[in-house]
Amino acid sequence: MASKANHHPSAARQRFGSDWRAGRITAWLTTVDHKRVGLLYIWTTLGFFAVGGVLALLMRAQLATPNENFLTRGSYNQVLTIHGTTMIFLVIVPILAGFGNFLVPLMIGARDMAFPRLNALSYWLFLLGGIVLLSSFWAGHGAAQGGWTSYVPLSTLHMPGHGEDFWILGLHILSISSLVGAINFIVTIHNMRTSGMTWTRIPLFIWAILTYAWLLVIVLPTLSAGLTMMLLDRQWGTHFFDPVHGGSPILYQHVFWFFGHPEVYIMILPAMGIISEIIPVFARKPIFGYKAVAYSTVGIAFFSLLVWAHHMFSTGLPVGLDSFFMLSSMVIAVPTGVKIFNWLATLWRGNISFDTPMLWSLGFIGVFTLGGLSGIFLAAFPIDWQLTDTYFVVAHLHYVLFGGSMFAVFAGLYYWWPKMFGRLLDERLGKLHFALVLIGFNVTFLPQHFLGLLGMPRRVYTYRPGGIWEVYNVISTVGSFLMAVGMLVFVLNVVITARSGRRASNDPWLADTLEWYTTSPPPAWNFDRLPYISNARPLRDVRRRLEAERWK
Amino acid sequence: MSAAAEAHEHHGPPPIHYSSRINPAVLGIFLFIGSEIMLFGSFFTAYFFDRIVANPAQWPPLNEAGVPFERPWFLALINTLILVTSSFTIHWATVSCKKGNRAGLQAGMVLTFLLGLTFLLTQVIEYHRIGFNTNDTAFAATFFGLTGLHGCHVFIGLLILLVITIRAFRGHFSPSAHHGLEVGGIYWHFVDVMWIVVYVTVYVL
Repeated sequence: MASKANHHPSAARQRFGSDWRAGRITAWLTTVDHKRVGLLYIWTTLGFFAVGGVLALLMRAQLATPNENFLTRGSYNQVLTIHGTTMIFLVIVPILAGFGNFLVPLMIGARDMAFPRLNALSYWLFLLGGIVLLSSFWAGHGAAQGGWTSYVPLSTLHMPGHGEDFWILGLHILSISSLVGAINFIVTIHNMRTSGMTWTRIPLFIWAILTYAWLLVIVLPTLSAGLTMMLLDRQWGTHFFDPVHGGSPILYQHVFWFFGHPEVYIMILPAMGIISEIIPVFARKPIFGYKAVAYSTVGIAFFSLLVWAHHMFSTGLPVGLDSFFMLSSMVIAVPTGVKIFNWLATLWRGNISFDTPMLWSLGFIGVFTLGGLSGIFLAAFPIDWQLTDTYFVVAHLHYVLFGGSMFAVFAGLYYWWPKMFGRLLDERLGKLHFALVLIGFNVTFLPQHFLGLLGMPRRVYTYRPGGIWEVYNVISTVGSFLMAVGMLVFVLNVVITARSGRRASNDPWLADTLEWYTTSPPPAWNFDRLPYISNARPLRDVRRRLEAERWK
Repeated sequence: MSAAAEAHEHHGPPPIHYSSRINPAVLGIFLFIGSEIMLFGSFFTAYFFDRIVANPAQWPPLNEAGVPFERPWFLALINTLILVTSSFTIHWATVSCKKGNRAGLQAGMVLTFLLGLTFLLTQVIEYHRIGFNTNDTAFAATFFGLTGLHGCHVFIGLLILLVITIRAFRGHFSPSAHHGLEVGGIYWHFVDVMWIVVYVTVYVL
């Protein structure tokens, strides 16, 4: 239903609404409102997603046939580096921060974040960091070429030009942005919950964002330190990583992966939080095992800090260490399995409606589980020795990051779009989008498992002609362009919805969390009033009370 | 009838509800310090990795004359005492503020700032005369890495102290409202405690 609050002038409108409507562009540039910062995040990351996607298509075009001359060797390395870095640092991590910004205060019944100006700072630093990172392409000798991991000595001794320095500076700015945002999330969730909202009554997405923020606070400084040392080695003549002068290149890998592996969970935990919000709504059942899902989030985060060296099995660690990191990595399958089984149990005998957000969520469960299983293979170090740096790893990481995180992001976009903009995305186009991306995704990445098993190395711009490699590669390229068509359908959907989409009521999906209690889109001050929270599903309580009053 | 309909009988946000007794700014600075500990921790990791895992023949390594690089531990000890004293003076300033003693607040802040500045200038002179440079082996890299990272923190801390001192002279802070002072003080204590760890690791061990 359309909100009366949007049409009636009121004291609150005069107090809080004045800068909300003043000057369209100025208002967005100077905003400290969490909803606007969240939307700025989401639009910007979708822009970067397009950039990263085009880079991916360039690589697939180069690999479509052997000995292709579409990209040169150097430019292929640049494209793969910036593709990976963009997708991780400029798309998945910040778009989850965007969801967090928009949703956290609404879900916990707060007026805004704890530090609204820091919130705006974290967005503008993010934009700056993204621009610096991408401007790497215009540096002398081209962009960074070391992959998103930028191992030394490749990145210190063998990379002339300033592309790598732009890459380092961009990541430095991005990590400050994320750190500021993470501290803001933690303080907001600790301090700003509405009355009655205890720790076991917060939505599961809030648990996920809290854990995400804690992981960022703990591991991002490690990345900053590693990058600083790399920059000093490159530009200041120090020898942190230079074995000739007493340093160690393996040190960089330890420092990088102590950040890099928790980063994987930074990208997947909020995605799992989104799924945990959507599945119960469209199965018309409460989530099965709220506490198990919440605590498994914390469990995954804890174990993620103990597994980093499983990325370094091939560096020749002692077998004892290899075994420890293999076992600790496999242990993560347990809390992850807890989540997957809880989602399945939520679906069990539910009254499922297959709206687009639900389709993406179901797709997430299937595809992410496949990615998780190939992860268990790679955690076993003898298998990793065989498969490391092959396309099997590429397939695995895309199954968890694209099939996991990005599927959940699209589920979240379809689910919360009405709350963000007041209009529902078109269902038919949404289902087409889902179908094209699901099929395209599997056509692209499933054959890459086989390519990896057959020994095709990753990060190489060409391959030998003849044999089955050619077939798998061309199939993979076709799949990637199919996905691109799917993304164009999404763009079309957004445009059509903005013009003539169906207007959304406050609570179009009959969901149970607090953000659906206010208007769509919410007013500047979020809530006119709030119910006392007596369980994790406050809106169901309100609905039941209203129903009871109606029959009285 | 939708559950949301009843939300709109009156307009304006409900009063803010705080679900925690700790002040947001104080919680925020503690989280920031948590991240700072991880940052220093990474440099300590580099130090111990290059010293123990990479296992050089000699630590500190030999210079061209065949003598180990000398770490001026005594000068740094004096410097340590200066920085530790500044922690007590800022504590005195905070206590004075809580008691409503403005002269004590102002004197404490000025003393803290001067002690911090002395520490930093001493470190600059120490760098100047130390006899090895950043590009002399991984030992020098980690030495300058740890002490330099700490020096940057002292510099930022001095800027914060300067702002607090100016505010103290402009009549800001009262016995009931002094979070600006407290948050800066927490940061300064952190810089101080971290120096003790850096000193013991780099100069003594």
